Amino acid sequence: MKSLLKLHTLTLLGLAFVANLGLQVYLATGQIKTWAEINWTDVAGEGGSAVLALAWLIMLLHSRPAGRVTRLLALGLACVFFSWWMDTLDEFIQLPELAVWDNWLETAPMPIGLLLLTLGIYHLNQEQRAISQQMSKREKGFREHRLFDKLTPLGAAEYLRQQVQLALGHAQAEQQPLSLVVVDLDDFNTINQHYGQAEGDAVLQAMAQLLLLNLRRQDLLCRLAGDRFVAVLPNTGETQARMIADELQQAVASLAHKTAQHGERVHLRASTGTVMAFDEDAEQLLKRLNLNLAKTKQQLPRCA
Amino acid sequence: MPPGYDCDTRFITAHHQPAVLIDLALSRGIDNHQLLRGSGLFYEDVISGQARISPLQFLTLIGNAQRLLEADDSSFLFGQRLLPGHYGEVSHALTHACTLQQALEQLQQFRVLLSPLLTPRLFLDERRAYLYWTDNCGIGNQQRFLTEASLTAVVAMSRRLFGERLPWRFHLAYPQPRHVEQYWVHLSEQLTFASHMTMMSLPLEYLHKPWPGASATAGQVAQQASCAQLESLGWPGSFIDQLYDHLYANIREPLNLERVAQSFEMSPASLKRKLHKHGTGFQEQLDQVRKHVALYLYQMKGYSNDEVASYLRFNDTTNFRRSFKRWTGLAPSSLRQLFQS
Repeated sequence: MKSLLKLHTLTLLGLAFVANLGLQVYLATGQIKTWAEINWTDVAGEGGSAVLALAWLIMLLHSRPAGRVTRLLALGLACVFFSWWMDTLDEFIQLPELAVWDNWLETAPMPIGLLLLTLGIYHLNQEQRAISQQMSKREKGFREHRLFDKLTPLGAAEYLRQQVQLALGHAQAEQQPLSLVVVDLDDFNTINQHYGQAEGDAVLQAMAQLLLLNLRRQDLLCRLAGDRFVAVLPNTGETQARMIADELQQAVASLAHKTAQHGERVHLRASTGTVMAFDEDAEQLLKRLNLNLAKTKQQLPRCA
Repeated sequence: MPPGYDCDTRFITAHHQPAVLIDLALSRGIDNHQLLRGSGLFYEDVISGQARISPLQFLTLIGNAQRLLEADDSSFLFGQRLLPGHYGEVSHALTHACTLQQALEQLQQFRVLLSPLLTPRLFLDERRAYLYWTDNCGIGNQQRFLTEASLTAVVAMSRRLFGERLPWRFHLAYPQPRHVEQYWVHLSEQLTFASHMTMMSLPLEYLHKPWPGASATAGQVAQQASCAQLESLGWPGSFIDQLYDHLYANIREPLNLERVAQSFEMSPASLKRKLHKHGTGFQEQLDQVRKHVALYLYQMKGYSNDEVASYLRFNDTTNFRRSFKRWTGLAPSSLRQLFQS
């Protein structure tokens, strides 16, 4: 993903301006300490905290689009940074004893910042729930971004393996059947050849969305590799799995995908395979599923 | 014969195989400066069409691409686009090949232009055709990536030019990786991992089926032009390739570093240095050739243990068994199953 920092230039500039203003005010009213007067432990502690707060802020802005939640979190972190920044500055600059406002500059932003952060995290929580809702059928109770597929918004093979293993455990515990369906495009390589790799990628992305729409709430879809997708169907017996596989096959056949360049219709066909889990582990089950698919594919009419 | 290319000879046309990888990476949003870092190659040079790079530079590029793409299917996607490729006359020759056999023979003959890092070697018995691959310039830890890419390239080419998926079987010289599903999808379900050589095989009948898009005349012209191109390069393969061929041809003679160095008109020390540069040694090369010869004799000629032992000039079978175990980690008898699986 491209860096989102550009969206937040104004926030960062504002913070730089305010931090500089703080520095100017201190310089105008106070006197720079001599080397001997500086307490380096304090500098390390307070300065380090300021640096960390700034790092959090940048990481946050780097990864988030603009919006209400981002604004709250950013403002909160900016206040926290400012408070620690002023704290650090007074290690270097001796302010007149009588000044009270400096205390306000150091202390006041902190509780405000923490309040804003709390509010932000509360809304972040709400937002996360909304996103999780959107992620249903694509992830089940466990998130690991390193296992995301690079092309489609699905989990990749490793995530699938883990989920199948979990599902096998559940199925055994609840004495319920578990089935797997594999969907594989026929002649996907000719699509790549005729329309280019980019169009092939677009077809796969469309396929992912289409298959998701045709699955039930409790099902999980992952991309195994290339043009091969696998759906995990809990509480599903062989007959029902076969039915779902047929539905998916029909859905692919009636998908009228149009190419990006000329809007030409690409005719898609898919082969499917199903297996019901017996006493086996995820690895064996997936292997059996793929052998099943290979058998189906062998019966395909050859087309040149 | 002049000695073949080394790992640092600059002869790989940068806008051929390297460009296939570069384009794949760019299409996935990788920055070209990061991609080419440390390879001594600039994107502008590739565009200029003049740049030639060495196997080592290519390996650096592959390492970078692998790291930046960070996906299990990079090598397979790369392989799918490798053959017949856009490499001028030699790609024409492949495209117009009349049969798979002709295409595979061309792949072997023009390997410098088509597969500069892994050497394909074709041999046939009465039932199947075997294409096995040997490292020809010290590919080191890119072995798996290059194997995946090369096998996929042949599979994709034969499917594309023939019009249907062929029933290939595969032997891989490394243990099963985590991402075995990529092999299922891009190669086939018929896989044997931790095998003794990297090899793909196919029933013989597919070798002679006519290819629909073939054009014998155009193909012949392109083949002649490719021969001329090979001639101008000066060698048909790498130095390691030449050594392999020399050892293979003279496997029944007493072979040692001194004699072989003499045949190549170099001092034993230079030969040793040269092999070391490619991450290998004389004994390793000799053992590999002996293993391949033994496999050939078992499989193609149906030789018994005694016959193989005496062919390879071992005085007694016990000694042969011991040596064989050292080359392969297995007793000779268990190796015969390699081809049967």
